Amino acid sequence: MTRTKTSGEKQLWPFETVGTKVNGWVDDLGAVGIFLLRAFIMVFRAKQLPSIVQQVYYIGARSAPVVMLVGLFTGMVLGLQLYYTLVKFGSTGALGSAIALSLIRELGPVLTAIMITARAGSSMTTEIGIQRISEQIDALYTMRIDSLRYLVSPRIAASIISFPLLTAFFDIIGILGGYLTGVVLLGLDAGSYFYRVETSVEIDDITGGFVKAVVFAIIVSTICCFQGYFTHMRTDAHGAKSVGLSTTSAVVLSCVLILISDYVVTSLLL
Amino acid sequence: MKKYSHETVVGAFVVIGLVAIAYMTVKLGNVSLLGDDSYSLYAEFSSVSGLRVGNPVEIFGMEVGKVEGFRMDQEKQQVVVDLKIKTGIDIYDDAIASVKTAGLIGDKYVSIDPGGSDELLKPGDFILDTQSPIDLGDLIGKYAFGDIKKDGGETKGEEE
Amino acid sequence: MEDELIEFKNVTKRFGKRTVLDNVGLRIFDGDVTTIIGKSGTGKSVLLKHIIGLLAPTEGTILFRGKPVYEMDRKEFDAYRSQFSYCFQNNALFDSLTVFGNIALPLQQTTRMGKKEIETRVVQKMEQLEVADVSDKYPSQLSGGMQKRVALARALVTDPKIVLFDEPTTGQDPIRKNAILSMIAHNQKRFGFTTIMISHDIPDVFYISNRILILYDGKIIFQGTYRELERLQHPMVDEYISSLKGFEKEFLTPVSDGEAFGLSGKDVKIAEKKDTVIVAVLTLDELDALTEKLGQKRTDEILQSLGEYLNRHFGDVGISNRMAKNRFAVIFNHMDAKRVESMVEAFTRELREQGLGEAHPDTGGLIDSGKTVSLAVRVGLAEASPKENIQVTADKARSREKVIARFFCARCET
Repeated sequence: MTRTKTSGEKQLWPFETVGTKVNGWVDDLGAVGIFLLRAFIMVFRAKQLPSIVQQVYYIGARSAPVVMLVGLFTGMVLGLQLYYTLVKFGSTGALGSAIALSLIRELGPVLTAIMITARAGSSMTTEIGIQRISEQIDALYTMRIDSLRYLVSPRIAASIISFPLLTAFFDIIGILGGYLTGVVLLGLDAGSYFYRVETSVEIDDITGGFVKAVVFAIIVSTICCFQGYFTHMRTDAHGAKSVGLSTTSAVVLSCVLILISDYVVTSLLL
Repeated sequence: MKKYSHETVVGAFVVIGLVAIAYMTVKLGNVSLLGDDSYSLYAEFSSVSGLRVGNPVEIFGMEVGKVEGFRMDQEKQQVVVDLKIKTGIDIYDDAIASVKTAGLIGDKYVSIDPGGSDELLKPGDFILDTQSPIDLGDLIGKYAFGDIKKDGGETKGEEE
Repeated sequence: MEDELIEFKNVTKRFGKRTVLDNVGLRIFDGDVTTIIGKSGTGKSVLLKHIIGLLAPTEGTILFRGKPVYEMDRKEFDAYRSQFSYCFQNNALFDSLTVFGNIALPLQQTTRMGKKEIETRVVQKMEQLEVADVSDKYPSQLSGGMQKRVALARALVTDPKIVLFDEPTTGQDPIRKNAILSMIAHNQKRFGFTTIMISHDIPDVFYISNRILILYDGKIIFQGTYRELERLQHPMVDEYISSLKGFEKEFLTPVSDGEAFGLSGKDVKIAEKKDTVIVAVLTLDELDALTEKLGQKRTDEILQSLGEYLNRHFGDVGISNRMAKNRFAVIFNHMDAKRVESMVEAFTRELREQGLGEAHPDTGGLIDSGKTVSLAVRVGLAEASPKENIQVTADKARSREKVIARFFCARCET
């Protein structure tokens, strides 16, 4: 989120710009943190279940086809690429393990999160953003309906439910995709493929993958809702344009943070 | 446009998703279905290099249990490995437990030759005959630097 | 005197460098219909938003029943806001919900009412505001006027004690405008609700307002009743009135209904030129009872017919004015009393023969008073003494009113 520049003496550059920018980031971070906390607490209030179910439909169920399609092709391309690499070591038997582990530990959670961001995250930002600029959120205020509870909490809750489920779909279909290329196409032994899958995957890998999925869920939903909710505070644009910019920021920021947090969580788990 | 209500779709979605997660957790993650119908045996090794908790225990190539834990016996300078074996698998007191590698660079596992003596090992007993894992690096080093006899003689560079 | 409900003390609001409210001090009383008028864009909406808490003043305090609003704790503040309802200028409807969904939302989210009860109340409000037909439609599918009515329904469905309207009648046709305004007046009379509204709908809003506030250049330049407003000398008031007159001169013929409200001094000027001035006042009785029994639409139709009659008979010879919802005044210049009287008689005759809109003349037969509604038209005449204020003459005429015709409306079911 951009900030209007404070006037300052020129000789303090670049310290002042850097300082202001960092201050800005810390402020934003604090704001996002409080936003998340308050919205999360509201998840457990009454009357939320129907809205949460609705949001699971839009965020989860409707993203399923896309996620499964991407999962299939990811698995298939992994099958191809890894086969030709493993052939050089004479270890094509390890294809099952390689694919399963890559998907379950990394590609499943990350790619699922990115696909959902593109689909549902962007629409969260836009919907809430438009409601903000057309004063609908103010209208909720005048009716003493907490807009955070009504708009944001269900989306965060639905994301936490949907991301792991969709990640599981991605993983399973990805492994099947690897089967399609590795076994059906390239002639690997089906038995050993699935055997390797079963034996090499451990419970830690699976829980690790789902922990990542939940972390990503929280990041994506919070950032996308936050950007939409405060779109009126942008100084660089107003009206429809600000909603557009907010959506772009939300999607980009979400994807970047998915990858950064992926590293952080991975290093914590290993 | 609503043939099925949103709620139905969500219900289906959540159920299928949970089934998928359950499948992955159980089937792939090797969640211990051994549980209570298993018993512990112990084996001491001078080295358990590469062996980890959860690695399988096999007899004749079939998985019969898991490595449950490790303990150091500093008096005897050995590592005591806790092996969880499925109830019903008989192992005798002349059994041999070896730490082997699956494939050339695979995971380690404990292979048990159950033996054939008359005495059955009871829960908590020790398998006395053990073989520590072969350290591949050592082996290659020995070969490369000439500690292993070739044609009965030592290979020592210029000498010969 | 009523209780003081809301007070602004030295309230200033700045947005960056722009000062929108400048040291505003005002009072709003419980049970009143208060109207805020002012040029567009002068901060009336900003003022209203302060009352509901959407904006906070840069300086100054806002008091509610004597208590400073921004010093209330959370519970008190919530209780404070629970008495209000707000209707936005741009409606701010939830465009992803149907009309029904929009109106039901406040009930669903803030009360514990059951589904059936909510449905009943929502349907009742929709019928009251004539949007029941479009209950399943989405706001983007409705016209501006209908959207406004949905917004009104939504604001009123919770039966709030205090309602804030930001331009409730903008964009509505005259009949609906009057319907909305009389609904507001009705709510006040029947239930004692307080209304604070912003409107440009002069002079119609003056019929129903107890108190008028004028915002000019960020300052409140007037607070008081309409009568007090008449005596006010201020550039803005003159601006308003002269712009109205200028508009008329350019586009309209001098005689029309709905000229400046009441009889102002300007009319006297015209009258002064001639010698004798006679004022006739015509009233339709029992307007409230009528509206209740017949509904707004039909009552308006009847009033309209009355207006048309007046125009037809007296349009060429006098200036007719609307003095109140149900009262017309005609100023006759340089005509003698006899002439005026005979004209009024002719008028009465026609009225008795033709009836008034749906109402038929009462010919003396048996009427079932349960099923029918009766109306009465009264007329009074008075001659103005030289240099007398026209208003005084009008009052004189009123006091001399006699019933000239009665009607009953048999088709009007309650």
